[in-house]
Amino acid sequence: MNRREGEGCPRRNADAVQDRDASANPSSPVIAAFKVFQQELDTKHDKYERLVKISRDVTIESKRTIFLLHRVTSVPNAEDILNEADVKLDAVRQKIGQIAEELRGEDIFQFHRAFTAGIQEYVEAVSFLHYIRHRSLISLEEINARLVFMTTEKGSAEALQPGGQVLTFQVTPSDYLLGVADLTGELMRMCISSVGNGDIDTPFQLSQFLRQIHDGFSYIGNTGPYEVSKKLHTLRQSLGKVEDACYALRVRGSEIPKHMLADVFSSRTTLLDPEEGVV
Amino acid sequence: MNRREGEGCPRRNADAVQDRDASANPSSPVIAAFKVFQQELDTKHDKYERLVKISRDVTIESKRTIFLLHRVTSVPNAEDILNEADVKLDAVRQKIGQIAEELRGEDIFQFHRAFTAGIQEYVEAVSFLHYIRHRSLISLEEINARLVFMTTEKLDPKGSAEALQPGGQVLTFQVTPSDYLLGVADLTGELMRMCISSVGNGDIDTPFQLSQFLRQIHDGFSYIGNTGPYEVSKKLHTLRQSLGKVEDACYALRVRGSEIPKHMLADVFSSRTTLLDPEEGVV
Repeated sequence: MNRREGEGCPRRNADAVQDRDASANPSSPVIAAFKVFQQELDTKHDKYERLVKISRDVTIESKRTIFLLHRVTSVPNAEDILNEADVKLDAVRQKIGQIAEELRGEDIFQFHRAFTAGIQEYVEAVSFLHYIRHRSLISLEEINARLVFMTTEKGSAEALQPGGQVLTFQVTPSDYLLGVADLTGELMRMCISSVGNGDIDTPFQLSQFLRQIHDGFSYIGNTGPYEVSKKLHTLRQSLGKVEDACYALRVRGSEIPKHMLADVFSSRTTLLDPEEGVV
Repeated sequence: MNRREGEGCPRRNADAVQDRDASANPSSPVIAAFKVFQQELDTKHDKYERLVKISRDVTIESKRTIFLLHRVTSVPNAEDILNEADVKLDAVRQKIGQIAEELRGEDIFQFHRAFTAGIQEYVEAVSFLHYIRHRSLISLEEINARLVFMTTEKLDPKGSAEALQPGGQVLTFQVTPSDYLLGVADLTGELMRMCISSVGNGDIDTPFQLSQFLRQIHDGFSYIGNTGPYEVSKKLHTLRQSLGKVEDACYALRVRGSEIPKHMLADVFSSRTTLLDPEEGVV
């Protein structure tokens, strides 16, 4: 936010004598033009600020949904938790509808940095829920299909009212990628906790799933957004932890009683941390 | 935000066989205790988040007030701008009243980091306005005296209302001394800008007043040295640079002022400050 007046531009002050009357006169065309600029910029900054606030709400609610979803491994009745998570994610979608409303008629890439964090967290949460239900990766089209908002005169309703508008929010491919990269960290946590609860099938499924995601990211390499390389490094560590869990179960599983397995993992992951990343 | 369940604590899982019934039973005392913790922490985090949002509004409005105040040097009628700035700062005080309402009954130092940026910007704005009017530094007591809010039964916080309503409560917001210090340090940067722009507008008295004023503030900060908050040392460095720029402006005016016509002075400063930037900081 730079100062717009009196910055001491050499060319301007060489005409200072002639301009002094103009700068004292608030209706000169220069001052009037700057007032218009000021209003435009203030409006833009205010919109950016509103988007940041909504995005923070989206981030917090998505994170709480993810914490909720982590509990499915330790509770016998997973359906309640999944339904509760659905409700929470619907609330998050309402917030994303507000983002879409703010962006109506705007260049979304001017405001992208305001809401990108929230959208990545949302992608992480909704793909985590999808994986728990279907053991597969949700696609970008499926995510975007649920971010359709009907605006009627009274607000968002499901019936298509005559005169109602359809507002969609398109998650960009880069946000989708980064959200999926964060998902892998959550899947790794789910794997370790499911082992601690005695579930010895999930780690192997997760190991294959994460391996496929890792291969996909390796195809992208360094052609994607710059955050991808950092997340690829974290992804390799997560994949390593999951594969170590599978190794401990398969090779050493016969030696160790189930309720001691979590002890093995807590000590192994702390010992192996400096060496992970070499796949 | 760490996961609270199933983290794999060795001692807990050694009793996993006995506990398996307990973990499946949602009314076990352990689960119940954790639910209470969850609600407490969620409430605290939600309050922190609301404070961050209010603080961002305070910061933005204070910054806009400062931009407004910078225009007093280029406009003949300063009173309009000062009154407009007063109105804006009253709006900022309303927001600070909301912060005070959120902090009612809480340990303010648990939430201090949420609102400290906004309060520093507010201190910067209100001390800038005070300097333009009175050519002196506003004191912490004066700042706190204006942050008194009356809450009546209608829950209408009135900023600095003078009548005391029966049954109304008085809510005060105390700016901490460290926030005051850091706000004053930021003020010096704005004063340096005001000095350069006033020279560009032909005012040759302000730089000398500012030079003395900033020198006194700098001496005060040097007394504090490294005993204050850790941000003070970084701001002290910036303060030295600002002081250097102001003193260079005074030098150019006094020693070389007779050589240069007024409307060329600003050119001299634009070129001089860019040349001298790497050397500043050596006072």
